[in-house]
Amino acid sequence: MKNKYTIISIMLIFIALVAYSLTTAYMTKNKATEKDNLTVVTSFYPVYIAALNVMDGAEGVTLENLSEPQTGCIHDYQLTPADMKLLETADVFLINGGGIEGFLSDVTEGAYSMEVVAVTDGIEFLEEEDETNAHVWMDIDNYLKEVENIRDIMSDIDKDNAALYEKNASEYIESLEELKTERDELKTQIESKGGVSAALLQESFEYFADMLGIEVVYTMDLDEERQISAGEVADTMSAVNDGNASMVLTDELYGAELAETVSGETGVAVCTINPCVRGEYEKNSYIEAMRQNLENVATLLK
Amino acid sequence: MLSEFFQYDFMKNVVLAILIITPLFALLGTMIVTRKMAFFSDALGHSALTGIAVGLVCGVEDTDISMILFAIVFALLLNYISGKMASSTDTIISVFASCSTAIGLSILSKGGNFSKYSSLLVGDILSITTKEILYLVVIFAVTLVFWIFAYNFMEAAGISRTLAKSKGIPVTVIENIFAVLVACIVTLSIKWVGILLINALLILPAAAAKNISVNVRDYHLFALIFSVFSGLVGLFVSYFTNVATGPMIVIVASAIYFVTFLLGRKMEG
Repeated sequence: MKNKYTIISIMLIFIALVAYSLTTAYMTKNKATEKDNLTVVTSFYPVYIAALNVMDGAEGVTLENLSEPQTGCIHDYQLTPADMKLLETADVFLINGGGIEGFLSDVTEGAYSMEVVAVTDGIEFLEEEDETNAHVWMDIDNYLKEVENIRDIMSDIDKDNAALYEKNASEYIESLEELKTERDELKTQIESKGGVSAALLQESFEYFADMLGIEVVYTMDLDEERQISAGEVADTMSAVNDGNASMVLTDELYGAELAETVSGETGVAVCTINPCVRGEYEKNSYIEAMRQNLENVATLLK
Repeated sequence: MLSEFFQYDFMKNVVLAILIITPLFALLGTMIVTRKMAFFSDALGHSALTGIAVGLVCGVEDTDISMILFAIVFALLLNYISGKMASSTDTIISVFASCSTAIGLSILSKGGNFSKYSSLLVGDILSITTKEILYLVVIFAVTLVFWIFAYNFMEAAGISRTLAKSKGIPVTVIENIFAVLVACIVTLSIKWVGILLINALLILPAAAAKNISVNVRDYHLFALIFSVFSGLVGLFVSYFTNVATGPMIVIVASAIYFVTFLLGRKMEG
């Protein structure tokens, strides 16, 4: 039955054509921007937002983010083919550092020519039990330092746009300073209450708590792919009880249900904190998210 | 478009790996489908987790080795017990698979560290190294030799074990060798294909080929073509659309399966 081979060939060609046309359709929709002189890639959301504010409007420079804006924290991120392609074209790769980019060894083992620079130079990382907590951006002071670092790094690499970077950065820092004033008000409020203690359902909140002077009674590191045991939940609850914690800080996505459980059992208030690792690619998204975080804490203090 | 496809070195490795893995899977797949062992190979994939966990507990540095050893023991044990027991094979396999997955998960998730291993679930073919490709070539050669020598025996045993035994075919030995072979390949490929999808890649091309084949020659030829075809097309699409490679390959293979399913019915009717 020779006929069968023809039918099969037609089928395969047909499937290949469908795949091809869908792919091209997809590609034209996402047409890559024209080749620029300088391509800067950031590793994930907070670094991207900081860099976006510094580099907005720079001529001949493309700024791209490696992971999608909805990826979240990138401990366990796996590079996709598109990421590898992007990195091949990159001249500068801005990373957070502190080991949070777990995939970095894959990158450095590959034959990439770009410069890898950590934007957290000069920032002190919180350490516990030999583990570095690298979520520094959750402290506004650290984030501001990151912005300054990016400004310096980029001015060094791209001298033509140095003046623009300087201008952008100082504008952004001004808004960050405003945010800091709000934070300081909240901090004074907390102090006047004789301090507040809280249980944290995410490692990154330690920076947030630290900056507000909130005492931490327990940290459970919940993130995207975490499985928890009953024992840990019990530990959280007893820590909340023993430490007289008045709130439990949780991310909207991961841990919200656990926070409700803890709250139901112990009566502490649930405070939703945005870890600033996902959102829209908007220049003011960090400030908005952080302002909301401060407000959420303030509401509970009343 | 093609020149862009090959402009990066890692893509050459990946294409090479796919050109080795897919025919290998097709060959094994035809045998697995003929012997109705689809569930068996699935269970083996799940045992990879336990293999890693056992390796960690025993302090083995190279978890590849503990994974393979465990899979081999697991496969032989399964073969042995399903030969002895009265209840149906799929129940036994299911019991074994769930038990070993649970052990693996409980050890690996201790202290909340499971996320370190979650890449095994989906696999990552992009990170394949030249050394690993060499491993694959060796396995491919071994499988080919086994296939050439043992295929007829396997087929005979598939029709009737008793008849095959009476003709002097060492059915048990061949079945055990086959189980070990499947165990090795499945565990070694887990890293690239992922536990969740590895069985799809083994079964789909052979199943699709079976839909439209009337003889053994066609069956193998089609399985081979479908497998390599889905591998390459899946990689191509994933490269340009930023979708994970493994799932894309399986989607293409599934499309082939459904089309051949309809075609096969038409041809009969």
